[in-house]
Amino acid sequence: MNSPALSDTLLDLIRQQPDAEKAVAYLTQQADAYRNQPTTAVFYRVFTAIPRFVGKQTIRISPEQAQEIQSLRNGFTVEGWSLDRLARVWWLLQLPADDPAVYVSTIENLFKAAEMNELAALYSAIPVLSFPEHWRFQATEGVRSNMSPVQDALMLQNPYPAEQLDEPAWNQLVMKAFFCDKPVEEILGFEKRTNETLARIAVDYAHERRAAGRTIPPQLWTLVKPFVTEANRAELEGLLRTHGAAGAPV
Amino acid sequence: MSFLDTVRGMKFFDMHVHMTSRTTDDYQAMADAGIVAVIEPAFWLGQPRTGVDSFRDYFASLVGWERFRASQFGIRHYCTIGLNSKEANNEALAEQVMEILPLFIYKEGVVGVGEIGFDDQTPAEEKYYRAQLDLAKEAGLPVQIHTPHRDKKQGTSRSMDIALEHGLDPGMVIVDHNNEETVKEVLDRGFWAGFTIYPFTKMGNERMVEVVKQYGPERIMINSAADWGISDPLALPKTASLMKERGISDETIRLVTFENAVTAFAQSGQISLADFEQPIDIDQSQRYNGSSVLRGGQAPRVDKSSTIIK
Repeated sequence: MNSPALSDTLLDLIRQQPDAEKAVAYLTQQADAYRNQPTTAVFYRVFTAIPRFVGKQTIRISPEQAQEIQSLRNGFTVEGWSLDRLARVWWLLQLPADDPAVYVSTIENLFKAAEMNELAALYSAIPVLSFPEHWRFQATEGVRSNMSPVQDALMLQNPYPAEQLDEPAWNQLVMKAFFCDKPVEEILGFEKRTNETLARIAVDYAHERRAAGRTIPPQLWTLVKPFVTEANRAELEGLLRTHGAAGAPV
Repeated sequence: MSFLDTVRGMKFFDMHVHMTSRTTDDYQAMADAGIVAVIEPAFWLGQPRTGVDSFRDYFASLVGWERFRASQFGIRHYCTIGLNSKEANNEALAEQVMEILPLFIYKEGVVGVGEIGFDDQTPAEEKYYRAQLDLAKEAGLPVQIHTPHRDKKQGTSRSMDIALEHGLDPGMVIVDHNNEETVKEVLDRGFWAGFTIYPFTKMGNERMVEVVKQYGPERIMINSAADWGISDPLALPKTASLMKERGISDETIRLVTFENAVTAFAQSGQISLADFEQPIDIDQSQRYNGSSVLRGGQAPRVDKSSTIIK
């Protein structure tokens, strides 16, 4: 990962949004001020105030730009974000990482006092923060969140969980996503990181859904498939492949 | 005829209600009765907090979880952030709370500093009331003032004196929990006058009808202040219904139960009348896409009269 290059690319993307002059002027001015006087008070104030100055419209991005971002940080995507979220993630990249303790506590304090959209921005930024291994617990807190935009920011189109979460935490993320009706195909690493325990949990979940008379999500099959044996194939296919969302064979 | 029939089609803004202390059933009933927006002032939770982190988590919940919870019922949730008067008396803690307030007052959905003011009218209460008036002035935010239960009339006058002394424009100050004895001075001095319909301890709604008949709708707004006590989150639609039955015009009802509160708190820049023209689409879709209140797949509405729970 290359933070300065990513920071430049994200700022360019902000610059290319319709009517972005005011947003770019605000952000570059604040970044200059922060470089001259790097106090946490300024850092927090700008992070919170960003929507007032940059707006909240959904960003536009070309396939080339998306590709460029991917080349700087594999799996990282900003598509579908609002402009304030993009600007907040860019702002987080302006925080110096030379003192790990200061860096980490500054960001942890942002998490502690965050409102919903700020949390979504923070969890969206997790894959581009310094000291990636440090944010593992915080990522599990994102899974525990009750607010769907916050859950989405961490769970969907985010490369961090598959890279950093251990197996129990990963399994919890995947099952919570099913439980909350997320589009699980947007979980990066969904197929690759399935495991025997998760397959067992998925089968139990399917049984539980059937017992309750509820629909069984067809994507559970993806989790279970690698662990199907000749002995249980008929039973699992019966359970998972014929009880899709519409009750029709998948 | 049910009050719900009388007020059908009207929309209400309860500018003082403590939803943290209420259930999802309340949210559902409020939405059904036409309440489209609420302000939740930061307050005392029924017992004193012992550390600053409890305040931090409470403030964070007002701009986070509670706001989201309300949106799932189609209700816009705003809040005012402040150190309440009771807990201002713990000075060691109050100092720490003052330090974290700037982290919260600029957040999205924060429409003022509140509820602040006097409870016991002690020197410590006055000290932090003054400090928070300065904070509100600096941030350009409206102030929501709690007026005391005891020695109310003098406490209300004193609250306004101090606000003026700190250079606040009375048009930026909402003086809450008025009654027949305080309203005249509040309006005469140019402040907004909030009225709380709350059984036994504050206003009853028949009295409220008479106040509106006497003073008209200008700068008057009504709320429920529903909380953990015996209170009523439907106080606003019930009062609107009573006003209608007793001959108050629809326009006056709209002003005192909706528009005046929007106008007053719109001065924060965090809320506008135009917001209410837009349905909250995103929140409606979130409602079906999973959360712990309305878990994915569950029908968003349950039939309360049925003994069957699916």
